[in-house]
Amino acid sequence: MEQFWLVTGKLLEGFGQNCIIFGVTLLLALPLGLIITGGSMSRFKPLRWFTRTFVWVIRGTPLMLQLFVVFFIPPLMTNGSVSFGRMNAALIAFTINYAAYFSEIYRGGIESIPKGQYEAGQVLGMTKAQIFGKIVLFQVIKKIVPPMGNEIITLVKDTSLSSVIAIPEVLMNAKDFSMSGLIWPLFYSAIFFLAFCGVLTVVFSRLEKRLNYYKG
Amino acid sequence: MKKWTKLGAVISAALLVSAMAAGCGSETAPTEESKVEETSSAAQVSSADWDDIAAKGKMTVGITYFEPMNYIDKDTNELTGFETEFAQAVCEKLGVEADFQKIEWESKEVELNAKTIDCIWNGMTITDERKENMDISVPYMENKQVMVVKKDNLEKYQTAEDMKGAKVVAEKKSAGEEVAQSDEFFAEADYLSVDSQAKTLLEVKSGTADVAIIDYVMSIGSLGEGSDYSDLVVVDGKDFAPEQYGIAFRKNSPATLEKVNAAIQELADEGKLQEIAEKYHLEDLLLVKPANEATNSDADATSEAAASEEA
Repeated sequence: MEQFWLVTGKLLEGFGQNCIIFGVTLLLALPLGLIITGGSMSRFKPLRWFTRTFVWVIRGTPLMLQLFVVFFIPPLMTNGSVSFGRMNAALIAFTINYAAYFSEIYRGGIESIPKGQYEAGQVLGMTKAQIFGKIVLFQVIKKIVPPMGNEIITLVKDTSLSSVIAIPEVLMNAKDFSMSGLIWPLFYSAIFFLAFCGVLTVVFSRLEKRLNYYKG
Repeated sequence: MKKWTKLGAVISAALLVSAMAAGCGSETAPTEESKVEETSSAAQVSSADWDDIAAKGKMTVGITYFEPMNYIDKDTNELTGFETEFAQAVCEKLGVEADFQKIEWESKEVELNAKTIDCIWNGMTITDERKENMDISVPYMENKQVMVVKKDNLEKYQTAEDMKGAKVVAEKKSAGEEVAQSDEFFAEADYLSVDSQAKTLLEVKSGTADVAIIDYVMSIGSLGEGSDYSDLVVVDGKDFAPEQYGIAFRKNSPATLEKVNAAIQELADEGKLQEIAEKYHLEDLLLVKPANEATNSDADATSEAAASEEA
């Protein structure tokens, strides 16, 4: 029993790192994604192409590799004088990566709103800002909740990728136990992810219900 | 709608441009500065490597957790182990603090070059390839590869014939893998590589593999009573690929290397090194002997080599 609490404590300590990455990434990537959407839907062609290429690169390369690039390239190029530190590097890589995915979800949501909705607003004499803020935005939010929920749940599990730059997250701590002859913590660590994702699933289904006021 | 996208476009353009400008500013400028520094100091004396560490007041020691070398003690919840205490003792002699940083083993060379660590002190086997890429200390400990099997199979794998069709696992890019792929004993066996030594034991325990090839030192720490692997044993009399452990530093670290080697010899002379090794049951494997027993480890190695040639 004592061993159980020791392992739980150690894994919780690691899961704290996962939670930090999760929280900060979500906080920064949600608005950053919107900015990227602005770029990729822009009428200004060079900016649109630039943003879309950026999204292509970020979505087209493994997050694991991006973690390596952000953490190792600056010190390697500057002979060690510029370095973000492990946690900061992880936060930067995760934020950029997830912002790229979020931006495409936002774009899909915005583009799915039928033209008639804009026209109806115009008929009512609303300004463009009013149309977006009062008619389009809430429909977009409602539409993107399921795909966003999907992506956010993926983020929970992706946080354990940070162990490649030696952030002592939960899976790494569990592996350390298996190194010293204790196997069950490796499988026990699943509980932490399951519990967290369980909470998120409930939150998102409640959110969907609350946004149920629009039909069609 | 258009307004919003336009606003977004402007903000993102501004952000991207400033990010690029910042990126250029912070990345290129220091590179040139440090290059100039490097060349000028290299021209004078080559102790820049040690000066860096001395200026920081600490040596960042790259480790991975593995018993009995570097691991978290279950009772005190603190980092301990042979290499941990050894590194602390050497750093104390050098007047700097030992700052342990856990790393991923596969990235150790990159970590070293990125200066995110100053040395690798983790029961690292000295190989020609590593000697070329890193500066390595005097060999301080010997190690060998051993076969680990389930207790029931202890008698089963004695000859190369027995190995026919047996599933053999070792850590990717480890000395164990080298043995599995090149030693004739394993010629007829099916080989599979996994990403850590711990996983090789897991494979054997779960029955998905028959034989794991791991470090002898690792087997001291992982097998035995009380661990989950107490049903696994080392096959007696089957040793492969004797090897030596060294501490790795960045290439071109002559001053640091000299200081560390001297400190290791001092610790051996004082008997402190033996003391630490005994604590972890590794005393038989030590290579650095006190000066009064053998003149130095090099002479020891030469005489051993000579002896084996005669034999």
